[in-house]
Amino acid sequence: MTERTFNRVSPLQDVAVQGRFGADKGAVGVTFNVRHPMSILTVIARAGQGAATAAALKGYEAQWAGPDQWFVLAENRGEGALYRELKERLAGLASVSDQSHGRVIIRVAGPKARAVLAKGTPVDLHPDQFPVGKSALTQMAHVGVHLTRVGEDAYDLSVFRGFSESFWEWITEQAEEFGYQVI
Amino acid sequence: MTSYRLDKGGLIDRDSALRFTFDGALHIGRTGDTLASALMANGVTLMGRSFKYHRPRGVITAGAAEPNALVELREGGRKEANTRATMIEVYDGLVAKSQNNWPSLNFDVGAVTSLASSVFVAGFYYKTFMWPKSFWEKIYEPIIRRAAGLGSASKLPDPDKYEKSYAHCDMLVIGSGPTGLMAALAAARQGKRVILAGEGARLGGSLLNENEEIDGQSGFDWSQGVIGELASLPNVTLMPRTTIMGWFDGNIFGAVERVSDHLRVPDPYEPRQRYWKIHAKRAVLAAGAEERPVAFGGNDMPGVMQASAMRTYANRYAVAAGRSVVVFGGNDSIYRTARDLKSHGIHVEAIVDSRKDAKADAAGVPVIRGALVADAVGGKAVKSVHLTDGTHINCEAVAMSGGWSPIVNLACHRGKKPVWDANLLAFLAPDNGEAFTVAGSAAGKMLLSECLADGAAKGAAGGKAIEVPKCRDEAFAIAPLWWVKDSHGKAFIDYQNDSTAKDLPLAAREGYSDVELAKRYTTTGMATDQGKLGNINAIAILAEATGRTMDEVGTTTFRPFYTPVSFGAFAGPFTGHHFQPVRKTPLHDWAEEQGAVFVETGLWMRSSWFPREGEDWLASASREVLNTRGSVGICDVSTLGKIDVQGKDAGVFLDKLYCNTFSTLAVGKARYGLMLREDGIVYDDGTTSRLAEDHYVMTTTTANAAKVMAQMEFAHQALFPDLDVTYVSVTEQWAQMAVAGPKSRATLQKLVDDLVMTDETVPYMAALEVTIMHGIPARLFRLSFSGEHAYELSVPADYGSMVARAVMQAGEEFGICPYGVEALSIMRIEKGHVAGGELNGTTTAGDLGMGKMVSTKKDFIGRMMAQRPGLVDPNRQQVVGIRPVDPKDRIRAGAHLLKQDDKPSMANDQGYITGVAWSPMLDMWVGLALFANGRARHGEIVQAWDGLRGHRVMAEICDPMHFDKENKRLHA
Repeated sequence: MTERTFNRVSPLQDVAVQGRFGADKGAVGVTFNVRHPMSILTVIARAGQGAATAAALKGYEAQWAGPDQWFVLAENRGEGALYRELKERLAGLASVSDQSHGRVIIRVAGPKARAVLAKGTPVDLHPDQFPVGKSALTQMAHVGVHLTRVGEDAYDLSVFRGFSESFWEWITEQAEEFGYQVI
Repeated sequence: MTSYRLDKGGLIDRDSALRFTFDGALHIGRTGDTLASALMANGVTLMGRSFKYHRPRGVITAGAAEPNALVELREGGRKEANTRATMIEVYDGLVAKSQNNWPSLNFDVGAVTSLASSVFVAGFYYKTFMWPKSFWEKIYEPIIRRAAGLGSASKLPDPDKYEKSYAHCDMLVIGSGPTGLMAALAAARQGKRVILAGEGARLGGSLLNENEEIDGQSGFDWSQGVIGELASLPNVTLMPRTTIMGWFDGNIFGAVERVSDHLRVPDPYEPRQRYWKIHAKRAVLAAGAEERPVAFGGNDMPGVMQASAMRTYANRYAVAAGRSVVVFGGNDSIYRTARDLKSHGIHVEAIVDSRKDAKADAAGVPVIRGALVADAVGGKAVKSVHLTDGTHINCEAVAMSGGWSPIVNLACHRGKKPVWDANLLAFLAPDNGEAFTVAGSAAGKMLLSECLADGAAKGAAGGKAIEVPKCRDEAFAIAPLWWVKDSHGKAFIDYQNDSTAKDLPLAAREGYSDVELAKRYTTTGMATDQGKLGNINAIAILAEATGRTMDEVGTTTFRPFYTPVSFGAFAGPFTGHHFQPVRKTPLHDWAEEQGAVFVETGLWMRSSWFPREGEDWLASASREVLNTRGSVGICDVSTLGKIDVQGKDAGVFLDKLYCNTFSTLAVGKARYGLMLREDGIVYDDGTTSRLAEDHYVMTTTTANAAKVMAQMEFAHQALFPDLDVTYVSVTEQWAQMAVAGPKSRATLQKLVDDLVMTDETVPYMAALEVTIMHGIPARLFRLSFSGEHAYELSVPADYGSMVARAVMQAGEEFGICPYGVEALSIMRIEKGHVAGGELNGTTTAGDLGMGKMVSTKKDFIGRMMAQRPGLVDPNRQQVVGIRPVDPKDRIRAGAHLLKQDDKPSMANDQGYITGVAWSPMLDMWVGLALFANGRARHGEIVQAWDGLRGHRVMAEICDPMHFDKENKRLHA
């Protein structure tokens, strides 16, 4: 099947304006980047199929999202393409639900990224405790957040679409003291 | 003027000049000063008035426990009452005012209460304002309220930001004196993640205040060396200006960092304060010890202070409390005071040592042994002291030391009581295990060498030890010294609340001898300092008065917070429109374009009505109903909870959750479901559709989406763990719109790809996966809440507004209009569909008229309890319709229903109206009600009695379905 795309409108389209904001202390402390459009799936292993599902997800960008649960992500895929692909691949192993439009992923990076996140999450982000690739389900500013460390100083924050604007306002304000850039 | 700045010494920058005002008078302070030290340096010793007697007060401490020198700091929206002058760092432009005086601090009319003080004893208010009872609300309370309270709050919004943050560490060290520094160093050198928190602007604790010698250097120089090493280590975080104010479950500590309180205004983007939650694997309390006052006459006079405070003012701030000083106490630390003061050139008239056999080195100062200071003489300043042996000594200040109380507050915040040590004459912290230990003088170690060693040991926590530096020790011995009973003047225990030593035996005599009762009867320990200074004296006096030991009396309860915390710090950034997050639907932008008025539904913003020019809400909603029933309308229903349920046992699982059956539902169909609580009461309702053999999508009400999800988690994990089923919220994935009305099919047909929509291809309760607009995936449901021929269309959220616009365009030729939740609600009442007013946590399926839905062939949550006699009683209130007898009358939700001739009473109550709406279809108000045995009483005329609004109309009970009883429109 050919992958078709349609014009997707991010809920942060008018909110996440590119540019530099907050304190000017030389280099920016934090950068924000809305990862959109994305393909995002919830994959939940069926009874007893956790290991088999994990094995079948090799090669995909899969983030832990609970016991035997993952978020599987991809960029540049057509509408529903990743969903159809994994539904077929994981048939009998796992339930797949498309969340591509339901969640918004904000990438927070930079030397002060951890300090900004510490204003919201009780999760210990020290690299010994929360290394690259690790995910956690947490709450920040009263909003449920799926948090993944994607680099030494880079994190993906995935929130429900409906909260994304409110969450954006909060997190960018927390970064003002360090100076931030929206890219 | 009694106090003054010394010519040299101190940790102040003499080249700086910080202008500040106190009660409008301009003064100059130096960098390193507190407001208290700067005022003293300027000869100001009168800083406040006490609460009850309006007595003149000055500083009594140099730290966090200060009960007297409380001032209003800053102005306008930044004004803060009851700030401790001893904790405020002076900055250029600081403005402070004294409190609790009128017309001025120097001449306070309220001080006349002092003349009548013999009647203002403990319990005065309780005894005096008891009768006549009718006087309380109108006369007594307003008078007391005017007289009570220190300072005044600003009514303007606080312009500054507050923040919250989390921190994590292996070792939290609380206090940065010799003990804390050693503890931090020991942990840090092991590579542990260390946080060192200190209350003051500068780390170093008592080493900033005292004249010590460590490792051949001054204590101050040694401390700065250690702090330098700690600052250089990547695993150490230093937190000055940070008060650890509470110890909570999970070894989590609350802390307030005063980020900008030392500045006139915070720097741009910086918060005023930051509230920290520190998760510590281990913590060491190295908070030191607080010096106790002695209760003698006039011990509250400006110029009388803790001996250690007077030392601190001289050593650290280069301020003398007076030109001549008497030092009074019952332990060896008073000799150090005398020596330090003397070394700064302050004349010490005498040391008055309560102990006859005291032996410490007085460095040439005259010592009067075995005598006590009975009274300080003076008014707004000390002029002299009378001793119990008749001696009279002229002096300008009195340094007093009743002994030392280890600062154990935090260690008691989780409920354990401190333990009395009869040798140290102090309460020591309870044993809280290794996760939270106490070290140094907070643990009763009174020698510097002990503190350094104890800090090192507790910080090492059994790991690699560090070398403990050598130091000079002061000797320490102590005898009890609580209350000088030969005093003539008032001897204060709780300074701020003006409770005196004599109040405590009085409380005991009147039956309040328990320490918790005595506290409340006398208000001792109830002020903002929470008894930090005088509570131990109070316990000792109570013990003596009742013939008990100190540990028999015990302490009152230690609760967070260690020192007062501003509301701003707790609120953090969650104020104004950030108080709670806003949740917007995928159709929000479209609804905004259409002029929607939004309403908060939980966190969601829902479009409520879409007014056109000149319309109020009712006109708008009525038009929306007529438009929808007349041709077609579109409504955002995205907020309904949507849960993807998948797996081999998905159907079986749904059978357990709902009282009706879903495993038999055909693929491609939807079914209305009713969910019960364990107790048989209705929990939630909604439609659930079967998309594939092993795939359902459930909808819930907007309000209960999260609760239903939790119910599913519980049911699966605890009740039916063997079922192979998964479930996940997909609420936010889908933009969902109801398209309702006779022209709904014609409208949607224009958008749906490759499907001719008929009653055969899309029958009532169909649930189909389709594409629209040349390939956009969508779900098409033929469902109706309005009672019209209607559909719900779901599309992935990012397409929501675009698709809604396309639906509007497709329906244009039919005159489509958007409708909001108000119109939705009118239509559901016209059709007798139950919603929140009826699904209110008290109704059964039978009450709602859905008893037949309840399966008798399977087990499900709530089945057994729903059969209880009380839940199947035919006289239960059941959902009925209600309408006014005279169609011009208005019925109102909330009105109670009475038989025609009955008087309003609980016994006569027959039920109440759960929801009403103006029906534009019927041209009258119609409603739903819960009514006793209602289904058997259709046609009965009742009173709809609304006592709250003083309104009564006659109404008729009827079928809930007010409009289109045959459901012709639904299937049209």
